[in-house]
Amino acid sequence: MDRRTFVKGSAAVASATALTRVPAHAQAAPDKLRFGYTITQSGPLGPGAESTSVSQYRLWQKRVNDAGGIMLKKFNKKVPVDFVAYDDQGKPDELLKLTERLVQQDKVDMILGPYATHMNLASAPIINKYEYPVIMTTATTAKTYDIAQRWPYAFWNISQPKESTEPLSQALAALKKEGKIKGRIAVVHVALEYGVEMHGAFVEAAKKDGLEIVISKSYPLGSADLQPLIREVMATDPDAFIAMSYPPDTFMLTEQCQVVGFNPKVMYVAIGGVFPTYKGKFGDKVNGILAYGGVDWNAPGVADYRKAHREFLNRDSEAGAVNVYAGLEVVQQAIEAVGEIDRKKIRDTIASGKFQTVWGELSYASQRNANPWAVGQWQNGDIVGLYPSNKAGAKPLLFPKPAWS
Amino acid sequence: MILFEVFLNGILLGGSYGLIALGLNLQFGVARILNLSYGEYLMGGAFTAFFAVMLWKVSPFLSLLVSLPIAFAMNWLIYRYLMVPLVRRAPDQDALDADVVLVTFGLLFICQGWALVYWSGDLRGYSFLATPVHILGATVALNRLLSFLGACALALGLFYLLRHTRFGAALRAITIDPVAAGIVGVDVQRTSALAFATGGALAAISGMLISMFISFSATTGVEYTLKALIVVIMAGVGRVTGTLAAGLLLGVVEALGGYLIDPGLTIAINFALFTLVLLLRPTGLFTRA
Repeated sequence: MDRRTFVKGSAAVASATALTRVPAHAQAAPDKLRFGYTITQSGPLGPGAESTSVSQYRLWQKRVNDAGGIMLKKFNKKVPVDFVAYDDQGKPDELLKLTERLVQQDKVDMILGPYATHMNLASAPIINKYEYPVIMTTATTAKTYDIAQRWPYAFWNISQPKESTEPLSQALAALKKEGKIKGRIAVVHVALEYGVEMHGAFVEAAKKDGLEIVISKSYPLGSADLQPLIREVMATDPDAFIAMSYPPDTFMLTEQCQVVGFNPKVMYVAIGGVFPTYKGKFGDKVNGILAYGGVDWNAPGVADYRKAHREFLNRDSEAGAVNVYAGLEVVQQAIEAVGEIDRKKIRDTIASGKFQTVWGELSYASQRNANPWAVGQWQNGDIVGLYPSNKAGAKPLLFPKPAWS
Repeated sequence: MILFEVFLNGILLGGSYGLIALGLNLQFGVARILNLSYGEYLMGGAFTAFFAVMLWKVSPFLSLLVSLPIAFAMNWLIYRYLMVPLVRRAPDQDALDADVVLVTFGLLFICQGWALVYWSGDLRGYSFLATPVHILGATVALNRLLSFLGACALALGLFYLLRHTRFGAALRAITIDPVAAGIVGVDVQRTSALAFATGGALAAISGMLISMFISFSATTGVEYTLKALIVVIMAGVGRVTGTLAAGLLLGVVEALGGYLIDPGLTIAINFALFTLVLLLRPTGLFTRA
């Protein structure tokens, strides 16, 4: 952690304890709370991990420590947050070794989640073995339906394949019913676990809703040219183009659709579509594009969060990162409710409580976020949440997507 | 019609493959240094172009005024002060290769780490000339076309330099036999240093050119080192126009294979071609037997 924030934090703690009468058991209070995490800093997943997770961890630490730290009722004392972090290189075996180290050697108080679906899945059994409650903020997999029961210490924060794709399919079916589209859907996906699962879930939902899948293709991560694929898609004359894509190809698909003048009435890109870089690259052309995830920028606390984000990280927050920050707020609120580091009690508090966060009110019935944002859309230069439409701040669909011009 | 467009896009893609490999082939062919940190100068060129567009609001081409001299100077210094001592103490080429690989591998991590600290690990990209150009009914992106023309210009320029100038003759002499070149009066160390530095500068140019149509991050460099290495091995060490031709072959086969068979197979097709070349012509497609 930054030495200055630490000094500030401890000064605040010192003055706070000096002013209040020190209870007898205050001597036992820890001088800091040590949070450990392993995350991907090198390799192809590094940029995503930085943008979505690491940046939020650092921002949260700064904001918590600027406010004096996390309040531990038992000691009537605010305690600053300290980090122990390792680079797991996106390899599950590294993650396991490093998590052992965090527990056995560093003896951290709490553990924060890693980045990307396969890493979250690798982490769940080991944090469960050592009984560290962790909110997994970057995993989208149908497997959570089973493993939530098996590993009670893991909580799943974001929208899973079924919930992510069903609202999208239903929205398309509604457009078809209103006669606005013919219901011809083109689907492509990146050949990665995330792409495959999202693709499978969407195709199943679309068939149930009476939509016609006119083309379905996959492509490898790191493709250098997707124009031939787009040409194949265009040849089928679809109303909607759904791409279960990852960051580099999300950008390439969008640019090459513009070059060949492919203007589907509905266009969806998955990961990367909500990044500020996406808007930075394409400007107002992003308007009307649908993407995975969502956020209500008008929810309480979000304006302050966004301002702090810009000041500390020199860029806007991305919708996909807001859930990570919200997960940290849940952990903080659960610790403060328990009043000490008793991980069993903290786990039970998360499992049963309701938490006000920058991502709205969160609760974890059967350890899964009860109602996460699934689909967002760029409207007037900002990403907004669309579905589930019963969420606070959900906006109506902008249809059709404006032509690239 | 679509097939022609796919073919044309394969040519443009192949041009970019050739482009990124040109500098590496110069470094590998003449200076005999397998520079694993090559991609980092490419990444640096791409980042400078990104900053030119996003921060300074100028054309990415102007970023070359900054990135080109820096890449040239850095590579000259690397050759002069890191590689020359290794060359001097190495008993033979094998020992030198091992040392060079270790040192440039280390350099890769230093450059990458520096970029991660100062430029963060975020994904970067900007939009520049992403406008369609129609050639005989096929549509290509102007930025990809420009990058292809840049690749051709650089390859031809380099070809001219090697074939028709005194400096080029010295370079070719060193490629064939550095000891004999020294005996007939070529300043081997100075000429090799210049070739190595020029290779680094070419990396920066190709980074700028491809940054017009790809997105990249601080850790992208090593991916391009590997791609460039495949092209260099396919073409044959020290072959300049061959590098461009090998790149074109890769690009066209990848595009046509992806379109005619399946887009999921593009990377597999690339490596199948690479394996085939290694089996049939292990010294490269364009080397004389």
